[in-house]
Amino acid sequence: MKKINGMLVASLIPFLFLILLFLFIPLFFMIYGSFQADGGTGFSFKQYQEIFQNEYYRQAFKNSILISLLSSFIATLLAIFATYSITHFSSRIQNRVLIFANLTSNFAGIPLAFAFIVLLGNSGLFTLLFKHFGWETLSSFNVYSWSGLVLIYLYFQLPLAVMLLYPVYQGINKHWKEAASLLGASSTQFWLRIGIPIILPSIAGTFSILFANAMGAYASAYALTGSTYNLVTIRIGALTTGDIFAKPELGSAIAGLLGLTLVVAMLLNEWLTRKVRRDLS
Amino acid sequence: MNKNRPFFHYLTIGAVLLYLLVPLLGTLIYSFSTQWHKTILPEGLTFHWYGELFSDSLFLKAMGRSLILSVGATILSLLIMVPAIFSIVVYAPRLEKFIQALIVLTYAMPGVIIAVGLIRAYSNSGMPMVVVTVGAYFVGILPYMYQGTRNSLRNIQAVSLMEAAEILGASRFTAFLKVILPNIMPGVLVSSLLSFSILFGEFVLVNLLIGGSFETVQVYLYKKLNVSGHIASAIVICYFILISILSSIIVKVTRSRKETL
Amino acid sequence: MSYVTIENISKAFKGQTVLHDLNLSFKQGEFVTLLGPSGCGKSTLLRILAGLTSPEQGVIKIDGCDVTNVKAKDRQIGMVFQSYALFPNMTVSENIAFGLKMQKIPSETIKQKVARMVALVGLAGKENAYPRELSGGQQQRVALARSIVTEPKVLLLDEPLSALDAQIRKNLQKQLRTIQQELNITTVLVTHDQEEAMAVSDRIYILNEGRIAQSGTPHEIYTKPGSEFVARFIGNYNVLEGSELSIATSEREFSNRLYAIRPEAFSAQYMEDSYTFSGRVNKVMMLGNITRYEFSSNGIVVTAEHLHQSDEDVQEGARKTLYLHKKDVIPLS
Repeated sequence: MKKINGMLVASLIPFLFLILLFLFIPLFFMIYGSFQADGGTGFSFKQYQEIFQNEYYRQAFKNSILISLLSSFIATLLAIFATYSITHFSSRIQNRVLIFANLTSNFAGIPLAFAFIVLLGNSGLFTLLFKHFGWETLSSFNVYSWSGLVLIYLYFQLPLAVMLLYPVYQGINKHWKEAASLLGASSTQFWLRIGIPIILPSIAGTFSILFANAMGAYASAYALTGSTYNLVTIRIGALTTGDIFAKPELGSAIAGLLGLTLVVAMLLNEWLTRKVRRDLS
Repeated sequence: MNKNRPFFHYLTIGAVLLYLLVPLLGTLIYSFSTQWHKTILPEGLTFHWYGELFSDSLFLKAMGRSLILSVGATILSLLIMVPAIFSIVVYAPRLEKFIQALIVLTYAMPGVIIAVGLIRAYSNSGMPMVVVTVGAYFVGILPYMYQGTRNSLRNIQAVSLMEAAEILGASRFTAFLKVILPNIMPGVLVSSLLSFSILFGEFVLVNLLIGGSFETVQVYLYKKLNVSGHIASAIVICYFILISILSSIIVKVTRSRKETL
Repeated sequence: MSYVTIENISKAFKGQTVLHDLNLSFKQGEFVTLLGPSGCGKSTLLRILAGLTSPEQGVIKIDGCDVTNVKAKDRQIGMVFQSYALFPNMTVSENIAFGLKMQKIPSETIKQKVARMVALVGLAGKENAYPRELSGGQQQRVALARSIVTEPKVLLLDEPLSALDAQIRKNLQKQLRTIQQELNITTVLVTHDQEEAMAVSDRIYILNEGRIAQSGTPHEIYTKPGSEFVARFIGNYNVLEGSELSIATSEREFSNRLYAIRPEAFSAQYMEDSYTFSGRVNKVMMLGNITRYEFSSNGIVVTAEHLHQSDEDVQEGARKTLYLHKKDVIPLS
C-alpha cells in the first residue's frame, strides 16, 4: 500500500553517498587504524597503551584540557556579564554588538594568531610601548608562551560565548521579573531564585560547546610555533603528516580519544539544552 | 530603562569590545606602516604592502584556489544538501533526528580528526585530495545549511504549500521548483554565504590534506608570516574586509526577510 | 444518485485506529459538513478524500470513478487549507492562475478566468498584491478563488475560517454559501464549530472518535440529537438522567436512561401537555438578546434560556415555575 516517494529517494541517495564517503568512511578508517600496530600490521591495543604510558602524550592531553577549560571558563564568565549588560541597551545597539561578535567569531586561526603577534610579538606594538615606558614585566610578555596562547583562545571563544548566551537572556520573560517584583522580590532575589536557575543549564551548555571548540582548535597554535606546542591537535597533525616522525596509527588513536572527549561534551550540551527546553515549555 | 543604566554595563561591554577590536586595529595600522620596529608609533604610512600583495601572482592564484574550494563545496551543498533536507523535512520528518545526530558528529569531529581519517582512507585511493577536501568541506557545512534550510521551510509552512500545489495539479518536482525554492531562497542564500565565509578561512584540512601542493590564501598567509609581517597583515585585513562584506550581506538579507514575512 | 461515495474507509496512525470503517455519500451540488471535536478524525477523512493521505482500506469514488489510488494532483479536487497555504512568492492573480497553468491552459483563457474569479470573491484591485499585504479574510478569499477557478469536481474546506475574527467569519460564511450555490460545487467542509456547520450546510455528519455519530440536515440534528455525545456537542442541551428528571418534575414516567432538553424549550407561561419545574433561579448570565440562567428544581440543576424581554425580568434567587412541553424531552440512545 505504501508508495515509494521518488523525490525523497532521488534527493537522499547522493546526499547519503557523500556523507558516507566523507564522514563515515574516514571515521571508520581512523578507528580501524587506531587499533593497528605501527605500519598497520595487525590488530593491537598498543597505540592506546602508548598514549597512556608515554608522558609526552599524557602531557598533550593535559595541556589541551587545561587551556580549553581555562579559556572556556574565562570566556563564559565574561560573556555572562557582558551579555547581560547588552540586554540593557536599545535593540539597535544590541544588534550592532551581536553583528560585531558574529564578525569577530569568523576571525580565528592563522589571521588571529598573526594579529596577536603584531600586538605582542618580539617587536609587537604593545611590546614596544611597554618597553618605551620601561614596564619590564609587561614588555617581557611572550605571545609564544602558554599565556599568549590563552589570550588567543580567549579571543575566538569570547564572541562565540556572547552569541550563545544572548538568546538565553532573551528567553527570560520580562513578565517573570515583573511578576516577581509584584510578589515582593528584589532584583537580586529574582536572579538568585528564578533567573540563574533558569539560565544555569544554558550556561553549562555554552561552556561545553566552548570546551569542545577549544579542544579541536589547531590553526592558531600551529601558526604561532609550528609543532612545538604540545597540544593534542598539534600532536595529531604532526603524527599524521610529519615526514620523519609519522606514526599514523598513533595519530588515529589520539584522534579517536579526542573525538570521544568531544562527543561527551556535545552530548552533555544536548542533554542540558533538552533540559532547558523542558523547563521553558 | 535608558536613563539609569549603571556604569557597570558600559564597563563590561566596553571591555569585551575593546578586547575584540584591538588586535584588528593593530593589524590594520601595521599593514599601512612603512617601518615599525623600534618606535612606539609607525615611522610612516604607505599603501606599498597592498600594492605588492595584489601584484604577487602567487597570491592571486592562492585566492583562486581558495575560491574554487569554498565556492565548489558551497555549490555542491546547494545542489545536493538542500533538496535532501527539503525531502526529509517534508516527507520523512523522522529522519530529522538522523540529520541532527550527523550534526553532533560533525561538531565532534573537527578538522584535525576528520583529516586523519581522510588521509588513511583516500591518500592512496587515486581520488585527488582536492576532491577529498571539497567533500570534507561539504560535510563540515552541513550544520549551517541544515539550520538555514530547515528554518526557511518551517517559516513558509512547506508541507501545506506542497500539498496545495499538488492538489492544484503540480507534480512534486514542479511544486518544489516553482513554489518552495523561490520562497526558501533568501534563507538558503544566507546559509550559503555563511558557509562560504567559514570555508574561506579554513586552514586545518587544507594544510593537512593538500597544503604542499595546493596553496590557498590561508596557506599563503601562513608562509608569509615569517617572511613579511606587513604583507601578512595586509592579507589579514583583506580577509577581514571580505568576511565583513559577506556578513553585511547576510545581515541585510536576513533583515529584509524579517520585514517581509 | 450520489456523486461522491466513501466506502468502508479505515485509517490508523501508529497502530491507533482513527477512522473506523466509514461510509458516507454526498449528492452533486450538496454542501456537506464533517463536524466534530478535535481529534475525531474529520481532517484525516478530508485528507483521504483529497488524496493527501492514503487509507488502510476502503474505496473513494468521485463522479462514478474509483479514485482511491489516484494521486492528489490528478483527482480534480479543490482544497482550502486552514493556513490557506498561499504561495508567498506569487501575487493574488498568480496564486489563482497556478492551477490553470498546471493544466497548460492558454494564457488568454487563464487571464479571463482569473479576472472573473477575482471579481466573484470581491478582490478587484488586489490582483497584484502579495499574500502578506492582505488581511486574513482577504487571504482566505484568495485561497477560495484559487481552489475553485479550476472548476474542481469537489471542493474541500479544512477549517477555512477558524483563524478569523468572529465578525469576518460570519460574513465569509454567508459569502461561501452564496458562491457555492451559485457555482453548484459539491463541497465538503470540516469544522469543529457547530454554529458554522448549522449556518452553511445542507447536511451534517457528526464524527466522534473515528465513527459517525449522526447525520442529517441541520434541522434534524438540532431538534433530534440521537445520542448523549451529539446532544452535548451541538449546543447547550441539558442532558439529564431519567431519575433526575423524575425528581425535578416529581413525575415517574422517565424510563429511558438519558434525556436531552434544549434550554430555550423552558417557558414561564403555562402550556398544555407539559411538565412543571418549580424552584429557584441560581446564576443569571446576559448573552446579548438572550438571558441564560441556572435553575434548580428539587436540587436538580438545569440551564434555561429566554429571549431577553423587559417584562420578564429574571432575578438571581427568585422563585419561579417553568413549563416544558412533553415533546421537548428527547430520549437519548
